[in-house]
Amino acid sequence: MTCADLEVLICDYVDGTLGPDARTAVEQHLAACRNCAELAEDAAAAVKFMGRAAEVEPPPELMTRLLFQAPWVHAKTPVSGIRNWFRKMLHPVLQPRFAMGMAMTILSFAMLARFVAPARQLRPSDLAPAQVWAGVEDRVYRAWQRTVKFYESLKIVYQIQSKLHDWQQEQQEEHRPAERFSRRPDTHRLPAKSPEERKSP
Amino acid sequence: MATAALTMVSGAPFPQRTDSGSRYWIQHSLDLDHSLVERCLRGDEAAWEDMVRTHTRRVYGLCYRFTGKDGEAQDLTQEVFLRVYRTLKTFRATEGAFATWLTRLTRNLLIDHYRRTRQERLTDSIEEQLPVLEESVSAASRPEGMLAGREASEILQAGLQKLSPELREAVILRDLQDMEYREIAAVLHIPEGTVKSRLNRGRAELARILRRQKVLV
Repeated sequence: MTCADLEVLICDYVDGTLGPDARTAVEQHLAACRNCAELAEDAAAAVKFMGRAAEVEPPPELMTRLLFQAPWVHAKTPVSGIRNWFRKMLHPVLQPRFAMGMAMTILSFAMLARFVAPARQLRPSDLAPAQVWAGVEDRVYRAWQRTVKFYESLKIVYQIQSKLHDWQQEQQEEHRPAERFSRRPDTHRLPAKSPEERKSP
Repeated sequence: MATAALTMVSGAPFPQRTDSGSRYWIQHSLDLDHSLVERCLRGDEAAWEDMVRTHTRRVYGLCYRFTGKDGEAQDLTQEVFLRVYRTLKTFRATEGAFATWLTRLTRNLLIDHYRRTRQERLTDSIEEQLPVLEESVSAASRPEGMLAGREASEILQAGLQKLSPELREAVILRDLQDMEYREIAAVLHIPEGTVKSRLNRGRAELARILRRQKVLV
């Protein structure tokens, strides 16, 4: 047996899977060849050491990462166009946190309304069309008035109006002297006497 | 010396592999893998999750032992499953076990990664190796018998990093992933004889590295 032949057999020898005849042949060669014996000894020692080493355990976060960032999670079967569009549009709304926020808002408004404007019991007469119409008209009128009032009381509106007023005044001022010069003396009326003239006669 | 080596080897202090005894379980897991693959190909999301749960340990172990870094191993594991998702259609059950196919895919990715990061490793190899060496020296004063499994695992990891990638992958696949020689030959696309030759050289080189650190007597 040559060293090259033995090299192939050493693995099986170290594994302990050689038949009795091959095993004897290998042992005879190892007893005679120092290099091969060293190789077999080193290989066996390394295998023994590796047998002692603990197996590598993947960290738990890796499993989470693999399962939640997996491509199959994002590659769902495609649905029809309109349904998909609706789903896309409603996706931000159909979130638990949004539902929670909405519920909280409604609750706060309900509480506010209860304290600020206590609810009056609804009567059947309130639902009569004339009553409803009158109520709506009244509200529209009030809202319109309130809007007008609000608009007029705005500072900027007031400023603009006063500025416009100033300009009108200025324009009138400019026109007035021109009128004064162009005005002819009134010949039909007697000139007003001065106080001195009145006293003299 | 030769006689001492002979007695040491023939005493068989290492665990014997019982390949033939577990044939039923191998067949069982093969069937399971095949049905899992079929379900995945049908678009069953639960099947993909089962696949991740079943094979993460194997893939991560391979990546970690090859790269020696947890972060890199995690990224590579994710990349492996991404590639499995894209290329599962190319898997043929008649051409071999799914585990062999998955290992081959992982190994190809690791080799790509190794080539891609070669330049980075050349530039910062000294800084990276220093802490590993210091750790090894601190553990070196204790004999092998006193090393805990975790500590031995770390020393082994540092030793594996010093092997060439060819020898390293052979050692990892055989001794840490418990693959058969023919499976390793199929994964690496080399003859079984070459696998055994690389394995011998890898093991011997590793033993010499460990002995230099006084971890092996």
